[in-house]
Amino acid sequence: MTTGSINQSELTSLDTPVTSTVMLDWVSTLDHKRIGIMYILTAVFYLAIGGFEALLMRIQLAYPNNTFLSPEMFNQLFTMHGTTMVFLVGMPVLTGFANYFVPLMIGARDVAFPRLNAFGFWMLFFGALLLHYSFLTGSAPNAGWFSYVPLSTKAYSSLQGVDYWIIGLLIMGIGSVSGAINIFATIICMRAPGMSLQRVPLFVWMMLMQVILIILALPALNSALSMLLLDRWLGSAFFDPTRGGSAVLWQHYFWIFGHPEVYILILPGFGMISEIIPVFSRKPIYGYTFVAGSSVAIVLLGYGVWAHHMFAVGLGMYADIFFAVGSLLIAIPTGIKVFNWTATLWGGELRFNTALHFAVGFLLQFVIGGLTGIMFAAVPIDWQLTDTYFVVAHFHYVLIGGLVFSLFAAAYYWFPKMTGRMLSERWGIFQFWLWVLGFNMTFMVQHFLGLMGMPRRVYTYADNPGWALLNGVASIGAIFMALGTLVFLWNIWISLRKGKIAGDNPWDAFTLEWATTSPPPPENFNTLPEIKSRRPVWDKNHPEFADWKTAQTPPDNGKRFNLPKLAAWAFIASEAVFFLLLLIAFVVFNTRHRGGEVTSSVLDAERTGIFSLFLISSSVTFWLAERFLQAGKRSMFIFYLGITILFGTIFLAGQVWEYAGLLSDNVTINTDLFSATFFTITGFHGIHVTAGVIALLIMLIMGVKGNLTSKKSHVFGAVGIYWHFVDIVWLAVFGIIYLGLLQ
Amino acid sequence: MSSYFDLTSELWKWASPVWLLVLSLTLIFFIVQRGALSRRGLYFVVAMFALAMAYVSPIGVLSDGYLFSAHVIQHLLLLLIVPLFLLLSLSKSATEAIFSHPFMNRMGHVLAVPFLGWLSGLGVMWFWHIPSFCNASTESYSLGIFRDATFLLAGLVFWWPIFSPVKRFHLPSPLAMIYLFSACLGCTLLGIYITFTVISICPAFANPVDRLGIMHLLYDQGMTPALDQRLGGLLMWVPPCSLYVCAIMVVLRRWYSDMGQLTPQSTGATNALREARS
Repeated sequence: MTTGSINQSELTSLDTPVTSTVMLDWVSTLDHKRIGIMYILTAVFYLAIGGFEALLMRIQLAYPNNTFLSPEMFNQLFTMHGTTMVFLVGMPVLTGFANYFVPLMIGARDVAFPRLNAFGFWMLFFGALLLHYSFLTGSAPNAGWFSYVPLSTKAYSSLQGVDYWIIGLLIMGIGSVSGAINIFATIICMRAPGMSLQRVPLFVWMMLMQVILIILALPALNSALSMLLLDRWLGSAFFDPTRGGSAVLWQHYFWIFGHPEVYILILPGFGMISEIIPVFSRKPIYGYTFVAGSSVAIVLLGYGVWAHHMFAVGLGMYADIFFAVGSLLIAIPTGIKVFNWTATLWGGELRFNTALHFAVGFLLQFVIGGLTGIMFAAVPIDWQLTDTYFVVAHFHYVLIGGLVFSLFAAAYYWFPKMTGRMLSERWGIFQFWLWVLGFNMTFMVQHFLGLMGMPRRVYTYADNPGWALLNGVASIGAIFMALGTLVFLWNIWISLRKGKIAGDNPWDAFTLEWATTSPPPPENFNTLPEIKSRRPVWDKNHPEFADWKTAQTPPDNGKRFNLPKLAAWAFIASEAVFFLLLLIAFVVFNTRHRGGEVTSSVLDAERTGIFSLFLISSSVTFWLAERFLQAGKRSMFIFYLGITILFGTIFLAGQVWEYAGLLSDNVTINTDLFSATFFTITGFHGIHVTAGVIALLIMLIMGVKGNLTSKKSHVFGAVGIYWHFVDIVWLAVFGIIYLGLLQ
Repeated sequence: MSSYFDLTSELWKWASPVWLLVLSLTLIFFIVQRGALSRRGLYFVVAMFALAMAYVSPIGVLSDGYLFSAHVIQHLLLLLIVPLFLLLSLSKSATEAIFSHPFMNRMGHVLAVPFLGWLSGLGVMWFWHIPSFCNASTESYSLGIFRDATFLLAGLVFWWPIFSPVKRFHLPSPLAMIYLFSACLGCTLLGIYITFTVISICPAFANPVDRLGIMHLLYDQGMTPALDQRLGGLLMWVPPCSLYVCAIMVVLRRWYSDMGQLTPQSTGATNALREARS
């Protein structure tokens, strides 16, 4: 069975360079593989920068009372190191691998939205540039990677560093959500025939879980960043306790994002390991459904345990107990996976090459990081060890011992597919041991430093007994890791030039990316093997031992969700979280008028109610327009669409009227917490309505020109999902702000 | 040091009228079941035990105007535990026979509409925790009975699309997971609100009438109305979500073991997809 001939005109439109210059060819590319490589190269570039920052810090901490770095420089370095490693290395490199391999692994020709894909990458690229431009201003961000308030407010961070941090992260956040929606739609809608969701490779499944986390968790960060930016630029007081704001609210919002972020980073690592260990054990993974199901449990539980990052804040005994129990529960699905991987290795015909070395390294080191994580779920231990080097050791065991080792394993596993050449095993093993040695030297000793009471984020320390020795060991270990990275880069360089030719499937691997050439052609596949199990390439190459002969898997029913509508649903899910958190902030600040001077009395609920009727009515007129479009009645479609736009515009005019009245009464965003939350929520909602009106105008123009026909009504329907969402949000806004519900 | 858990005689209400309901349901169950014990019988026992405990045990006594947190536990038992185990205890063949009638079949499909179930499950929880309704239903015996009946009914409607004994009323597994996950979000929001708001959600619990003379013991244990409400919010938040996660695991298991043969229509759809891509 084949996917048949490729539509050449489509490919030409995607891949023919506008000019012959290689650079422009790459810059303008929409090919998922090239965009994937650009993500990975960007991550490698920032890995070098983040790693260099880490080395500078380790030099400073190599011995007591060192003056190599100033305290201010040290603050900037640990802030930028954390931010860089999380947002510019961890997330992009995983998105890069997903971009490259998800379409290949599900037998797709491309991603669902190539232009959105490119948009996501360039948002990351320019967001990262903006963030690092802060160094040139002399005031890089210095409030830590989670920028706790009030330290990050204007009163304590008056220079622009935090502003660059906020805007950079906002831009990259938009890019990340775009990329996540694209991968989500690709996995749901673009799978090859036969590839049911229950048959997708585990890397694909983990990416599906990861992008769901991104779509639902990143808006929490965006809402917090927006509020912090308003505090800094326009004088609102969301996070200023002296004016009724709440510093703890920032922590809640940051960690509602921040804890799922841990799983955003580690789940794809789990996926990579779940591909690599079976191939080099010559067995299918032990307990596919357990690995897949436990990742669902991780996603669900991951949202509910954020407050374990805040045990020291003083949330109260009951809250501490519940979040501690939740945090302990999450160890169960994580632990299940470790048993699955171990059971896969058990009794396998192990090929102990570099990829498997790194995979086993991952397994051992991640377990250590996981166990110390369970320790932190116990509240008294957290109180004792929080903000010490024990925490630093814990999360580096998860993110380096876990994630980075899985990335190296993946690099050795997939490099042949991406380049057509094998990486050198000799250099690879050398790199592995350098990393194992360096990593454990640096971070194992930090457990002891933490237990001895050494606080994190201090630029130097006194010569307490044992501290100098352990810090010295840690600093030497960092050098080993740096050397290991250089060996890796050298290996890539030399292998690209002289590496052994890989062939299509050098590992005799199982999944669809190995069913095409190395590197794959622009159209990805010339032919696809029949997909009747989770290992279609194994089935094709070893028909006598084909999986489907011995173990059935749920078949593909052939149904695929409508692509634009799915993307619209994913987008509004993300936006819903954003508005939800803003509305929660409103309720928190305005319950029983805790917000200081009360300006709520200046709102005219009746007048706004009338304008609200126009907005709600526009949903009805939109629905009618959609019905007429489906029925092919163009003039009626245009009429009702015009009415929808008119109603939306009238609503906006009402909002402008209300704003003008408030401003003339000197009620501005910095008047009190009511006005701050009011202007923020209605302002963002107004922006959304404006965007909706613009989208509807584009639809109207397309309709008038005859480009929008009943066959394309699903595209119009996708815009409708957004428009109805905006209306529903307004119902919540009107109920809570104007009618005072929940207060 | 005495504790309110020592006051066993005051904290148990053995003369509760709930026994009438338990006995009636048990009688019906055994008539339908014809005395044969099975796993369904065990589920039924769990359902009846939870129902009885919701009124007879200290949960029932303390939820009657003393502790908001006990009141939340009672609601969770009535809304989530009792209906869930009642549904699981129903015989597939007996239920199938009932829903084979065209009208009942139609009713079954109506109950399987996810929006209805979701709104019932979440709606009653939110509705009965609007301060005025919460207060009124706590202070009025008859309104309290009506509230509890709505919890039981709403719970049955909520769980029907997931655990109906008749498979055709089940939601497709991915949709069922979204249904449960969004329900988790709904109770999380309510839980967060109750935990962190400064408003007294149920003023009756802020100034309880001490009929049993145990109030001082509760306060001696450090249980203030504010703390009680916070605990109630956390109970509203974490245990239901944990239950939903477990239910999602069950749905996932169902999804991964769904080897249903391709129907002619779905085979056609797969072929159409293949052709569209070639």
